[in-house]
Amino acid sequence: MTLLGRIPRDYLILIGLVLALLTLPSFLNQFQLSIAILILYWALLGAAWNLMGGYAGQFSFGHAAFYGIGAYTSTMLLTELGLSPWLGMLAGAGLAALFGIAMGYLTFRYGLKGPYFALATFAFAELLRLISSELKFINTSIGIHLPLTGGDSWQRLQFEDNPQNYFYAITILFFVGYLIKISLVHSKLGYYLQAIREDEDAAAALGVNLMRYKVTAVAISGGLTAIGGSFFAQYFFFISPELVFGVPISIDILLGPIIGGTGTIWGPLVGALFVTPLGELTRAFIRTPPGFLSFIEGRSGLDVMLFGAILIVVILFMPNGLVGLGKQLWARVKR
Amino acid sequence: MRLAKRSMLLLVLGCVSLWAGAQTIAIGGIHPLTGGLAADGIQMDNAIQMAIDEINEAGGVLGGTPLSFLSADSTGSAEVGQTEAERLINEGANAIICCFQSSVTTNVATIAEREEVPLVIDVAVMDAILDQGFTYTFRLQPNATAMGVNGANYLKELAEASGEAVDSVVVLFEGTSGFGDSVREAFVAEASELGIVVLDEIGYEPFAVTDLTTEMTKINALRPDVLVVTGYYNDGLLAARNAEDVLLDVKAVFGVAQGTYDQAQFVADAGDLAECFLDSNYHHDASNADALAVLARYESVYGEPMRTSAVFSYQAVYVIADAIERAGSADPPAIRDALAETNFDDFLLPHPGPIVFDETGENVNARPVLMQVQNGSIVQVWPPELAEADPLFPCVSWNR
Repeated sequence: MTLLGRIPRDYLILIGLVLALLTLPSFLNQFQLSIAILILYWALLGAAWNLMGGYAGQFSFGHAAFYGIGAYTSTMLLTELGLSPWLGMLAGAGLAALFGIAMGYLTFRYGLKGPYFALATFAFAELLRLISSELKFINTSIGIHLPLTGGDSWQRLQFEDNPQNYFYAITILFFVGYLIKISLVHSKLGYYLQAIREDEDAAAALGVNLMRYKVTAVAISGGLTAIGGSFFAQYFFFISPELVFGVPISIDILLGPIIGGTGTIWGPLVGALFVTPLGELTRAFIRTPPGFLSFIEGRSGLDVMLFGAILIVVILFMPNGLVGLGKQLWARVKR
Repeated sequence: MRLAKRSMLLLVLGCVSLWAGAQTIAIGGIHPLTGGLAADGIQMDNAIQMAIDEINEAGGVLGGTPLSFLSADSTGSAEVGQTEAERLINEGANAIICCFQSSVTTNVATIAEREEVPLVIDVAVMDAILDQGFTYTFRLQPNATAMGVNGANYLKELAEASGEAVDSVVVLFEGTSGFGDSVREAFVAEASELGIVVLDEIGYEPFAVTDLTTEMTKINALRPDVLVVTGYYNDGLLAARNAEDVLLDVKAVFGVAQGTYDQAQFVADAGDLAECFLDSNYHHDASNADALAVLARYESVYGEPMRTSAVFSYQAVYVIADAIERAGSADPPAIRDALAETNFDDFLLPHPGPIVFDETGENVNARPVLMQVQNGSIVQVWPPELAEADPLFPCVSWNR
């Protein structure tokens, strides 16, 4: 076998994918590019969630906690100390990981599993939302506007003149995030986590330290999620407790991996590729429907109903997500 | 052969003139048409369409060019607001009106700046939006500071005019979306300046709250002269009901940018309880016949009373049309330059002077007006030059 053959296939896919992505800005207009940015951003967040919710089987309904910690940490370091958001991102990831360790320890210590664990994560996120709404030094519920300094700067991660640089930035983060994820999945830790997901008691009986590995999964997942939160702050210029610690963020984060396929490498990306443009497509469909459906033109709200209906159909008929469906079809073709 | 050629030429010419005739100047609108804020967003969208139709019926702009409307739904989220702004600009929007929410506005303003397309904010309250040095963004409505500062001053003036002392207040505010908190901050600062003691500031969750009786009991124990309330419609209605439940012992309930006490819907929902409630808020000018005609037209077309937010969207279209005329061009940077020079005095708002934008883009004359429910209708009571009736103070409906 050649050297290339020994590298897990997922790394090669990732490198090929990123190389292809880097050419996109020369094809796409600004509108299409901003959708591409959102896809990669949700894919990154989905991958982060998937480590904990998919591979370790610890379903989180409160990833907004990590996300908000990331957004607020990098923003406060930027506005108060003028620290580059790249460093702020690392600090946010570290803080979120610490929070994840504390949260993981407390919840696993008391043996919370399944829906009870999910509810606990939800409670932690709500806790942070309510506390941050009261904290004066982060401007309470009013939120923080990121200072715009004009022009482009990689150091400040702000691109007023060339927004395609945001695409390169998220591509870098996406690459790093997936690199971490793939190496983790192919490591011992990855196998421990999957063993824990399949049967905790059996894994423990074989000598897997449940507490240690579950907490590790929460910490890594939380750290990666925080990076997404920092990117949000830099890209949308405004954060508030409602926006970054709110329930909608927790839901949006897990939507991609669940649609795409939990516990798979590429599921979160496939999910983001499906969910993000779907919102745009249903909006465009209602805006300019085909002739025979002209009576629905411009009916506000219909696009959201259509979006919801499609999601329900996908979940009903593809319990293993789009990636699961793809695998099934592929198996059938091979046979 | 020659005939064929000539008819071909005619056909081409015909097409070209048709195409030229079909040229329009596009105004984009981004508002929350779905989700919890859709009631306002849809009205704002309608109001833009109505203003554009009126302008087109009167012959369009620049001597006959019609305006067209590119409508977009922000769904209330910054992300969608952003991609929709990009789309509208891609589709050729010459100017944009948006957003109703501060969180969406900041982002759209950044895009407007980058793409050099002027943005007129109809409604979005947070001061900080215009602190960024944007040159393409202009705001019609009074910001949080104007709301809070004027609210405190109206309260003080009202007290002095009636000879009743207002020495202390409690502020009840929605504390999650940022809107109530920013207005509260400005109000409390100004009230303290004016010598009014703020005994307590009590926050609540506007979209989750189901009962405010505990808060009202606490307020009763603090014995303020006046209760000041800042928030949205449903929570404001709840506050009114719970205040009556505990027979709140105050001289008045005074809204500051409160979304309930200046709405006809409040009278319909609360009946006699609504009497005497005060609200210092942005509004149309009820003493202006043109404004009343616009409201009547809106109601006849869309079948429901026009909200203040929609009046601001409607106004924004006329401010942009005025800028296009003065610019003599639909070129977005030219419209921006003309907007910066705006001096628009045919306005429908209760402002002391014409619509004029300062260098940050803030409407220098924007201010709220104090309204009160009297005999089942909303009337302007302060400042005196805009008053339709004398204010009733002290007055609460459960003590009459």
